[in-house]
Amino acid sequence: MCAAVKYNIRGPALIPRMKTKHRIYYIALFSVVLLGLIATGMFQFWPHSIESSNDWSVEKRSVRDVPVVRLPADSPLPERGDLSCRMHTCFDVYRCGFNPKNKIKVYIYSLKKYVDDGGVPVSSAISREYNELLTAISDSDYYTDDIARACLFVPSIDLLNQNTLRIKEAAQALAQLSRWDRGTNHLLFNMLPGGPPDYNTALDVPRDSPRRYFVLSSQMALHPEYREELEALQAKHGESVLVLDKCTNLSEGVLSIRKRCHKHQVFDYPQVLQEATFCVVVRGARLGQAVLSDVLRAGCVPVVIADSYILPFSEVLDWKRASVVVPEEKMSDVYSILQSIPQRQIEEMQRQARWFWEAYFQSIKAIALATLQIINDRIYPYAAISYEEWNDPPTVKWGSVSNPLFLPLIPPQSQGFTAIVLTYDRVESLFRVITEVSKVPSLSKLLVVWNNQNKHPPEESLWPKIRVPLKVVRTAENKLSNRFFPYDEIETEAVLAIDDDIIMLTSDELQFGYEVWREFPDRLVGYPGRLHLWDHEMSKWKYESEWTNEVSMVLTGAAFYHKYFNYLYTYKMPGDIKNWVDAHMNCEDIAMNFLVANVTGKAVIKVTPRKKFKCPECTAIDGLSLDQTHMVERSECINKFASVFGTMPLKVVEHRADPVLYKDDFPEKLKSFPNIGSL
Amino acid sequence: MQSWRRKALWLALLTSWLLGLLGVFPLLRLAVPTRPRAESPKGWPRWLDAELLQSFSQPVELPEDAPQSPLAPHNGSCNWGACFDASKCRGGGFKVFTYPAADPISETQRRILASIEGSRYHTFSPAEACLLLLSLDASAGECSPGPPQWNGGKNHLVLRLHSASCSQTFQLGQAMVAEASPTVDTFRPGFDVALPLLPEAHPLRGGAPGQLRQHSPQPRVALVALAEERGGWRMAGTNSSACLWDGRCEQDHGRKQTHPGATLPNATFCLIPGRRPDASRFLQTLQAGCIPVLLSPRWELPFSEVIDWTKAAIVADERLPLQVLLAALQEMPPTRVLALRQQTQFLWDTYFSSVEKIVHTTLEIIQDRILGVSAHPSLLWNSPPGALVALPSFSTSPSDFPFYHLQQGSRPAGRFSALIWVGAPGQPPLKLIQAVAGSQHCAQILVLWSSEKPPPPRWPETAVPVIVMEGPRKVSDRFFPYSAINTDAILSLDAHSSLSTSEVDFAFVVWQSFPERMVGFLTWSHFWDEARNGWGYTAKRSNEFSMILTSAAFYHRYYHTLFTHSLPKALRTLADEAPTCVDVLMNFLVAAVTKLPPIKVPYGKRRQETRTPLAPRGLGPAPADQDCINQMTTGFGQMPLVSSRLRLDPVLFKDPVSVLRKKYRSLEKP
Repeated sequence: MCAAVKYNIRGPALIPRMKTKHRIYYIALFSVVLLGLIATGMFQFWPHSIESSNDWSVEKRSVRDVPVVRLPADSPLPERGDLSCRMHTCFDVYRCGFNPKNKIKVYIYSLKKYVDDGGVPVSSAISREYNELLTAISDSDYYTDDIARACLFVPSIDLLNQNTLRIKEAAQALAQLSRWDRGTNHLLFNMLPGGPPDYNTALDVPRDSPRRYFVLSSQMALHPEYREELEALQAKHGESVLVLDKCTNLSEGVLSIRKRCHKHQVFDYPQVLQEATFCVVVRGARLGQAVLSDVLRAGCVPVVIADSYILPFSEVLDWKRASVVVPEEKMSDVYSILQSIPQRQIEEMQRQARWFWEAYFQSIKAIALATLQIINDRIYPYAAISYEEWNDPPTVKWGSVSNPLFLPLIPPQSQGFTAIVLTYDRVESLFRVITEVSKVPSLSKLLVVWNNQNKHPPEESLWPKIRVPLKVVRTAENKLSNRFFPYDEIETEAVLAIDDDIIMLTSDELQFGYEVWREFPDRLVGYPGRLHLWDHEMSKWKYESEWTNEVSMVLTGAAFYHKYFNYLYTYKMPGDIKNWVDAHMNCEDIAMNFLVANVTGKAVIKVTPRKKFKCPECTAIDGLSLDQTHMVERSECINKFASVFGTMPLKVVEHRADPVLYKDDFPEKLKSFPNIGSL
Repeated sequence: MQSWRRKALWLALLTSWLLGLLGVFPLLRLAVPTRPRAESPKGWPRWLDAELLQSFSQPVELPEDAPQSPLAPHNGSCNWGACFDASKCRGGGFKVFTYPAADPISETQRRILASIEGSRYHTFSPAEACLLLLSLDASAGECSPGPPQWNGGKNHLVLRLHSASCSQTFQLGQAMVAEASPTVDTFRPGFDVALPLLPEAHPLRGGAPGQLRQHSPQPRVALVALAEERGGWRMAGTNSSACLWDGRCEQDHGRKQTHPGATLPNATFCLIPGRRPDASRFLQTLQAGCIPVLLSPRWELPFSEVIDWTKAAIVADERLPLQVLLAALQEMPPTRVLALRQQTQFLWDTYFSSVEKIVHTTLEIIQDRILGVSAHPSLLWNSPPGALVALPSFSTSPSDFPFYHLQQGSRPAGRFSALIWVGAPGQPPLKLIQAVAGSQHCAQILVLWSSEKPPPPRWPETAVPVIVMEGPRKVSDRFFPYSAINTDAILSLDAHSSLSTSEVDFAFVVWQSFPERMVGFLTWSHFWDEARNGWGYTAKRSNEFSMILTSAAFYHRYYHTLFTHSLPKALRTLADEAPTCVDVLMNFLVAAVTKLPPIKVPYGKRRQETRTPLAPRGLGPAPADQDCINQMTTGFGQMPLVSSRLRLDPVLFKDPVSVLRKKYRSLEKP
């Protein structure tokens, strides 16, 4: 910029001296400019072509073409792992320091083919499952291709099946990895043969018909001692217990893994699992249990009889909800233990078992992502996923409400409340409201939200003198949502939202409203109540302001609520509701009612008898037509919000709160709040 | 010419300027080639032959697995299945025997033993006990030798409040260890029990309530407080950095104060280093409502088997840079901060505030292990009112309790059972039965006939069944969980009560909104009597109340189970002896569980003047009964009652509008 200006100034002085050369000069200048433009154009497109050619070289190769690495027989073995490793002793968190957004970054080593001195491969080629697993990681948010920024490393050496592995050589291969460092921050996957079943059967449809067997054992290679115990159970309880074993008399060509037998009776596996309520999972040869995933998938409740067996993802999954764990010593009591479980709990367990299967085990991808999420939660505990998110099936999550103010706590009266008056330009009425509200004993601060950008608020000296601090906040835009902004000035938990024309509320009524709020701090506590109704003819919601026996909303022209809801309104309002309200200049109170009812699952509290309010509905002086437009608009709001929330959160109640002695035959002088309901 | 030249020059300048703008960006991009390119992740390659890859396991492998023999239990790796004999617990239920303590005995230990002896689990016979409890106290100096019923430690729980070296005197064998802040390396999950490290002066019963007075953090309160080695707390504002840690920046400006050890920290988060001595700070922060941030503790968190600490505390890695941690804490969404703060208070009040609660929680955990499938679900442990007052013997399904309808997305059932207590006069409450049976919500009427007189042979014809249960009963038997009660709601009535159908209908509809509270018509209030230096209560009408008379009240049937099975026997006996006490006791129980006041609904004025028949105990309790409230307070360890200043009326109650518009018309009558 600077250079250009200088040139500009000097220009006219230079030109006369260059009379003969100027044509060449200009031509030269123009060609430079032209060349520059061409070059720029090329630069604009060139880099893209470089990048895409890069991609092209990586994608779409064959597994057989990967580079071969020869491991000499004397290549170093990794140090023996530290068996007492814990997250805070062996895991190097510093490597996760670069990771933004509380998310670990995972690097996958590129695929190589390791062979020993004789050229014999160390392990078989990468398996289908391990390829899926690495693909899932690579497609997830955890993945990074920058080894320097990674916090977790996944080798591409397939260790899923121990049986096909040459342990020593595989270890040598691991030790070769560039960041191995005694295995720090490396994640190895080892699974059981059996793995995720792919039976290609019609198992996916859950059966609702009653299950024929109460207890079923389908494992084949059981220790004789366990089998004896199970068969004793079968002998004792007859038909309801079924103990299956390997078939000995199968004809040729039948896959033995798909059949189970009891004496001479042949059953299809895993279909038979669907016939049972409980399926026994007894300790087998390995640490883990291949049968568990079959059982879960069939919607059968696993009965785990394997001491010291750690159930998959037990760090986060609450297996008590989906399975029955019986100590090995109590194996003979299994039947009576299971019979003591009420039917409702069994159904709950079946639902839970299916949910665990669907969410965390049904695909390699699900397993991989759950694994990474658990590690992520360990490293960033302050951003960890909650118990409910891990364990509650979707139906429970949708139906349930976790009230953000769940602690039964009655705030101390001494804290008081902050009154927030939204105003535009009705100064006279505003001053009257301020004077009235300031008479309420528990008022601790008054905040005026000046929503008029064209006009300055009155001079300080003109404001009414009140006993509490008065603060005027000027807004940048005339928006209704300004009334619900979480201003730093709000120091109390209780907020009284009040319009600048609500002058008819007595001091007793306001003080009583605050007392009621203290007993219900998680609710909207307000004065004029409204109702929503279902209009059967029109099949939509209708707004109702008549004298009804029920309420489901209170107007925020005069209402107490917890200041946390200001934060929710401003930052967590679902969908476009907030903008919609600002654009229509209406229904901010209905939106607030929806919001609070939705997060708390509770109804509003209307306080004190009905009065003539100078409410929005009533300001339409010129009669019916305006009044009706208003009602139509309000009804539209309810329908709009219900569709955004995806449900109707408002709760209808038939009660309102009055002082204990309201209208009782009792000396008025002795009542705490005598001036209630007067006009 | 001149102008042409000038124009051309301008044009040239403009174009070069444009060129500059256009040219610089791509050049810049080339100049910084090392930046990762988000738009083209390389990722794991999509193999062309991915479809052809073999599965990692071939199905034929399965049967080849060699079977494994059962494990023999050995002491080093005791687990619940191998080292505990639950068969001893089946007959008489969960009974606990405590070895008499050897002298001298420390104060904490004395309190622990006293609280077990006072609990419903205690037995004097070691033979019928399912759990034998041995308390070891190193601070007492001497270690006892192996006790007589030791049996290799089977079914024993060894209580070690201080890290004792006593275990050397005899082998712990198969005994479980309940230890204060055990180290994670020796702790056996699912077998041992982790206790909190108690301060010396921890109260036996009741205990100080949590310090939190408001849900959300007060503005401008310190973000973090750091536990100091000397025993105090160092406060720090939001903008301080790592110097908070090592104390190098003592002269640094910024909000920073050091508090003496005894005071509770007033901050949003409390950072506690992971060293074991710092475990004593843990309870302090819980009580203060300061969210504990543990820097990889080497000790096991108390009751970690059942308490989901992720809801109340943060276990961070101490090796993460402090700036990262502080930034994360500062950016934590208000919703999470709010939830964590409230949970600290809930856990403190429910499980930690007194020795009795800690001991009961320990026993409850062991009982849960014995119960297996019918143990408390995690929800009952981790949300108010907590597992000590949510009995799994009632139900294992949370929606059967009055407390979890929100979390479960359920509602209490829409009918009620009226339970009418007929005492000595033996007057059949015919009018009352008619009025109650007239309610559309009434499912059945149960008459508890405990008069000497025989009940009348015939009862009025009603739309709902009337079931008479005869037999002499104690006063507290009116709160027995009779199996005939098959609705969630109970309307408890006296034979003298007088209610209209409208009143019953409205009260029931209100109760449905507050199923965990008592909803009733007549009230008492409690007060602190300076003159007698104790609590008193009165039936005088006033502007507030804290108790609802059970002669006409709705409440959840679960409170019958709780009343009968969880209250100490001594309190129930007290109620039997002084009949007004039974109302006080029921109100204490509900208030202790909910920590909320009961709810009053309107009651016809005409009868309020002549209320003597409804409250046969006269206008207010007799002076002799006044003491019952103080004995109850001692029994509960604190005064649980909460006062309310409001009454719930129908929406149009006494409003100047036609009575035809009103749903509950009879309530309007003067």
